[in-house]
Amino acid sequence: MKAVVDSKIGAVLVVGGGIAGVQASLDLANSGYFVYLVERTAAIGGVMAQLDKTFPTNDCSMCILSPKLVECGRHLNIEILTLSEVKEIAGSAGHFRVKIIRHPRYIDETKCIACGTCAEKCPKKVKDEFNAGLAVRKAAYIQYPQAVPLKYAIDPVNCIWLNKPGRCGACAKYCPTQAVDFTQSDQEVIIDVGSIVLATGCGLSVGTVFQYANSPNIVTSLEFERILSATGPSRGHLLRPSDGTPPKKIAWLQCMGSRDRTNRYCSAVCCMYAIKEAVIAKEHSVEPLDTAIFFMDMRTAGKDFDRYQRRAAHESGVRFVRSRIHNISPLEDGGLLLRYALEDGRIIAEPFDMVVLSAGLKPAGNMIDLAERLNLEVDPYGFITTGDLSPIATSRPGIYVCGASEGPKDIPQSVMEASAAACGSATLLSEVRHTISREKTYPEELDVSGDEPRVGIFVCHCGINIAGVIDVEAVRTYAGGLPSVTYIEANLFTCSQDTQEKMKNVIKEHKLNRVVIASCSPRTHEPIFQETLREAGLNKYLFELVNIRDQGSWVHRNEPEAATEKAKALIRMAVAKICQAEALPTLRMPADRSVLVVGGGVAGMVSALEVAEQGYHVHLVEKGDGLGGQARLLRRTWRGEDVQAYLASLVEAAKSHPLIKVYLQAEVKNVSGSVGNFETTIISTADGTLWKVKHGAAILATGGQAAETGEYLYGEHPRVYRWHELDGAIAGDGGMIKGAQLAVFIQCVGSRDDQRPYCSRICCTHSIQTALELKRANPGIEIYILYRDLRTYGKREDLYRRAREAGIIFLRYDREDRPQVQAVTDATGSSRLKVSVTDRLLGERLELYPDFISLATAIEPGDQKALAGLFKVPVSEDGFFIEAHVKLRPIDLATEGVFVCGLAHYPKPIEESIAQARAAAGRATSLLAKGYRDIEGAVASVNPGLCIACLTCVRLCPYHVPVINAQGKAEIDPAACQGCGICVAECPAKAISFKYLTDKQVIAGCTALLREAVS
Amino acid sequence: MSAMTKSEIDPQFKFDLARRLGGDSIKRCFACGTCTASCPVSGVREDFDPRKIIHMILLGHKKQVLSSDMIWYCSLCNTCSFVCPQDVRFSEAMVVIRQMALENGYIPVSFQARWQQLERLGQQFRTEMLNSFLAERGQEQLLSPEELLRKAYAHCIGGK
Repeated sequence: MKAVVDSKIGAVLVVGGGIAGVQASLDLANSGYFVYLVERTAAIGGVMAQLDKTFPTNDCSMCILSPKLVECGRHLNIEILTLSEVKEIAGSAGHFRVKIIRHPRYIDETKCIACGTCAEKCPKKVKDEFNAGLAVRKAAYIQYPQAVPLKYAIDPVNCIWLNKPGRCGACAKYCPTQAVDFTQSDQEVIIDVGSIVLATGCGLSVGTVFQYANSPNIVTSLEFERILSATGPSRGHLLRPSDGTPPKKIAWLQCMGSRDRTNRYCSAVCCMYAIKEAVIAKEHSVEPLDTAIFFMDMRTAGKDFDRYQRRAAHESGVRFVRSRIHNISPLEDGGLLLRYALEDGRIIAEPFDMVVLSAGLKPAGNMIDLAERLNLEVDPYGFITTGDLSPIATSRPGIYVCGASEGPKDIPQSVMEASAAACGSATLLSEVRHTISREKTYPEELDVSGDEPRVGIFVCHCGINIAGVIDVEAVRTYAGGLPSVTYIEANLFTCSQDTQEKMKNVIKEHKLNRVVIASCSPRTHEPIFQETLREAGLNKYLFELVNIRDQGSWVHRNEPEAATEKAKALIRMAVAKICQAEALPTLRMPADRSVLVVGGGVAGMVSALEVAEQGYHVHLVEKGDGLGGQARLLRRTWRGEDVQAYLASLVEAAKSHPLIKVYLQAEVKNVSGSVGNFETTIISTADGTLWKVKHGAAILATGGQAAETGEYLYGEHPRVYRWHELDGAIAGDGGMIKGAQLAVFIQCVGSRDDQRPYCSRICCTHSIQTALELKRANPGIEIYILYRDLRTYGKREDLYRRAREAGIIFLRYDREDRPQVQAVTDATGSSRLKVSVTDRLLGERLELYPDFISLATAIEPGDQKALAGLFKVPVSEDGFFIEAHVKLRPIDLATEGVFVCGLAHYPKPIEESIAQARAAAGRATSLLAKGYRDIEGAVASVNPGLCIACLTCVRLCPYHVPVINAQGKAEIDPAACQGCGICVAECPAKAISFKYLTDKQVIAGCTALLREAVS
Repeated sequence: MSAMTKSEIDPQFKFDLARRLGGDSIKRCFACGTCTASCPVSGVREDFDPRKIIHMILLGHKKQVLSSDMIWYCSLCNTCSFVCPQDVRFSEAMVVIRQMALENGYIPVSFQARWQQLERLGQQFRTEMLNSFLAERGQEQLLSPEELLRKAYAHCIGGK
C-alpha cells in the first residue's frame, strides 16, 4: 500500500465499538465528518453492553447505552464495519490510507431480518462470550438481544458446515430470506481518512487465583454482572452457578489481577463496581444477603463515589473488610472458605456461598498487535502511551486514543475522553469539515390534521425488565381494543434497531397518524422514537411515551397484577390524550458559532484554543488579572512533565490567537437567550466596562482552589504547610529541605469529612510525588505519609511502589482516630512539632518529631452559584456543577449548549482537566458546526388577548424566559422556553397554553382514566 | 508496651537489610496481610505475624526485631513469598534477619552454635529420611550431606 501525501480528508476512522468508540463516532458524525467505525466482533456495544447496572446512579447499563447504539446504527454519517480489523496504515495526519480486513459474517446483512431461525435450527452449542461463558449460544448467533446491527452471524470456529462442508447447513435450509451465505470470505477494504481514534477498550485479568478454574462458585466480576442481568444466564435471578440455589453470603475480593506482580497498576474501577454489585445483589436477593468486600484501599476517588460507598455501608449494609485475600478453600457444600488477616493481626476463617473476583482491566487482546502495526508507543502492560500534558494524543500525530486503551478507566472518563479524541480529530480536520459528511433529510411530513386518529401501540417487554412483572400479553390484548387503535404489537425490545425499522414500515403500511409506545423513560428514549416517526413522515409530536417500566414494573415489583392494571390505565390515558394532539412545527433558527469560555485556567484556555483552532470565535472571561489559574501552583505532572513551561506556552497561545478575545478582571453579569443564540453581558471588575457578546455555546471552566484549613496547627506553626505551599518552599529554598531529617505528610485534610464528604482525588499522588522529590534532594530524610486510603488510582500506583522502595513509610489512620499535632518545647528551648498517631498494625501510639508537616488540604470549587444561576445549571451540595448525566453526558450541563470542564466539575489532576477541556470544546463545536438549531415545538405560548400582565409567569419561570413586552403583554421566547409548564399551570387568566399538553389533552386523558375506573 | 519514641528507631535498618542478598524485596510491602493470612505458622501461633514483622523492620525497630523470638519461628516454607502480590520474599529476608541477629550479638553464643548444628542436622535428617525411603524401594542411596556438598563443589569447578 502506497503512502499518500495530499490534501486532508474529512473522514475519521474509529477503531472499537464500545462506549468510547460509539461516543467518539457520534461526536464526529454530528460535527460534519464521516466516520468509519470498525468493530472486531459482530456487534457494537463493548463491555458496557454486558454490564447489568452502572454506578453511581444504578442505571440499567443497556437501557442508557442502547439509544446511543441505535443512534450510531442509523446515523447517516457513520458506517459500521463489524467483524473487521485494521491491518495496515499508511500516510500521516490529515490523510491516512487504511487497509481493513472484513471477516465474513456468513449471513447477508441486507437479507437478515433477525428472526432467529438460524440460531434455533443450529445444532451446535458453544460457550456464549457475551454471557462470559456462563450460558451457551449456537454457532449461528446474535451477540445480545439489542445488538447493533441486529444481524445474526455464524461463528466459523464452531460451525459444522464451515468445518465439514455438506454435514449440516440447517440454518441455510430454514432461513426464510436465504440470507445464509457460506461462500463469503475475507474482504479487503481500503479507506481514506484524515485521522484515527483508537477506542479498543479492555480485557479482564484475574491474576493468579488458581482455584477459579475449578470452582464454579468463584466467578469474575463480569460473570457476576451477567448473573445479575435480566438477559443473563439466570434471567436476572441471583443463583449460585454450581447448584442454582440462591446464595446467602457473597464475598468480593478486590485487586485480583491488578496491583500485583504482573499488572502493577491499579485497575481504578473495581472498588466502585464491586460496591455496586454488592448493593444490586442485595436488592435482587429475596432472602437477606450478606455481602462483604475485601479490599486494601477503598479507591472511590471519583465524583460522588465516596457518598456511594458510605450509602452502601450504612444503608445497604454492605460489609467492608480491609484485607487482601489469597486463600480460598472449597467446602463440601459448594461453599468457599476464606482465610484472612485483620489489621490487628487476628486471622479469621469465614465461609461464603460465592466469591466474586474483582478482575482487573488490561488492554484488549489485540491491542499490542494493533499498536505494533500502527507503530504506536505502548507502556509495559500494552496500554497506549500518552503524555500528561498531551492526553488523548498518541505518539503518532493524527492518531488519538480514548477509554481503556490508554489505561484502566470507568465509563464517564472514557466517554469524556472519547469527546476529547473526537475534538482532536475535528481540530486537525476543521478545514475539510462537511466535505464528505451528508446531511440528514427527512421525508416530507404528512398532513394528518383533520384525519380520524389511527393510533398504533407498541408495548415493550424490555427483556424481563417489564415482562418480569407486568403481563405484557394482557396489556397488548387490552390496548388493542381501545378506541381509535388500529394497530398493536408487543416487542422484546421496542428500542432495538430492527424494531425501529419495522415501526417505520408499520406506520406507513397501516397509515398510522398517532403512535403510543409503552416502554421506559422519555429521558433516555423519547428522541429515538421521535426520530423514527420523523423518518416515517409523521410529526414527532404525534407521539406519546408511556413509562410502564420505571413507573410500573420497577416500583410495583411485588404487585404484578396491580402493575398490569396500571399499565393498561396509563395506555388508555395516553391513547385518549394523543388523539387530541396536533402536529407542531419545529423551527429552524440560525445559530451563532462563537463560544463563551468562563475561566482562564488551563481548562478554560485549552478549550478556548481548541474552539478557536476549529475556526470559531471565543470570548474568554477571567476574573483575575492574568491567565493561568491553579496550574500556577504546580511544578510537574505526576510523570514529571514541566507544568510551568506548558502553562507559559498556553497563555501565550491564548493571548495571541486571532480568534480569542481575552477579558481579564471580568465577570459574567447577565445571560439571556438559549443555545445557538446566547447573549451575555460581561463586566469589567476594574472599571465597570460592559461588553455584550453573542455566542452559541458556553464552557464553564471556573476552576477550584486549594481549601483553607485550621487543622493540625496550620497557621499557628510556621513549619506546617499546605501541599502547594510546601511545593513553593521546595522550589524557593533548598536549605530547609536539605537540613531536614524527618517530614510528615497528612492526607485527607478537609476532604472526606463532614464538611466535604468527597475525595479531592489529586492529593495521594501529589504527596507521594513531593515525598519522592524530597528523597531525591535529601536521601537521608525520613518521610512518613499518614493516609486513610492510598488512592494512587490507575497507572499512578507505580508512584506508590517507587515511594515504598525509596523507604517512605506509609501509616494508615482512621477518620475517628486522626493524628495529633502539637508544638512542644525541646531541650534547647525551641519549639518543635510533635505528631502522634496510632500505628494500626502494631496497635500502639507512634510519636514523631518532624522538621515540617505537609497537609494534603482539599480542593474546593470556586463560588459558582451566581454563574450557575445565570446559566440555569444546577450545582451539587459540594458546590460542583452537576452534569446532565453522570455516566453518558459527563461534559454537558442541564442547560443545552452549556458545558463544564476542569476543577469546576470535580477535583482532578491536570491531565484529566486538559482532556476534559478538549472534550468540552468538542461537544460545543459539535453542537454549533451545523450553524443552525432546531427549536422544539413543545413550548408555552401566550394568548395576548387573555393576558392581564400580572407577572405571575415572569416571577415563577425558573429559566427567566417570560417578559412583558411593549404592548404590556407577557411574551415567551420559544427558543428559550424549556417546556417545564410551570407558567401554564399558574397563569390565573389561563392565557398561557402548552402545546404538547393542552387542556383538551389533559381532560381527555383524565376522562379516559376515570371512565373505566368508575364503571 | 510503652510508647515508642524516635530514639529507639533506626531508620537505616531497612536499607541495611535491603543491601543484602535476599533482603531487597522487603521495602515493596504494602501491608495487605496476605502473608499473615496464608502463613502456616500463624495458623498455630497467633502472635506470629509476618506483616507485623515487616512493618517493624520498615519502621526501623531494629532492636525489637533482632532480639525477638518471632524471627526464629518462620519455617521458611515460602508460602508467603508465593502469594505476595508485591513479590516480597519474606522467608529470604528472614534468613538475612537471623544472620543479622547473629552478627549483632542478639543471640547468645551457645545458641549460635546450636543453631548452626540444627541447620546441619536438618540436612542430615532429610538425607536419612530419603535414604530409608529409597532403601525400602531397593534403590541407590543418597550420599551424606557432606559428600553431596563435596560432589557439588567438584562438579562446579569441573572435576569428577
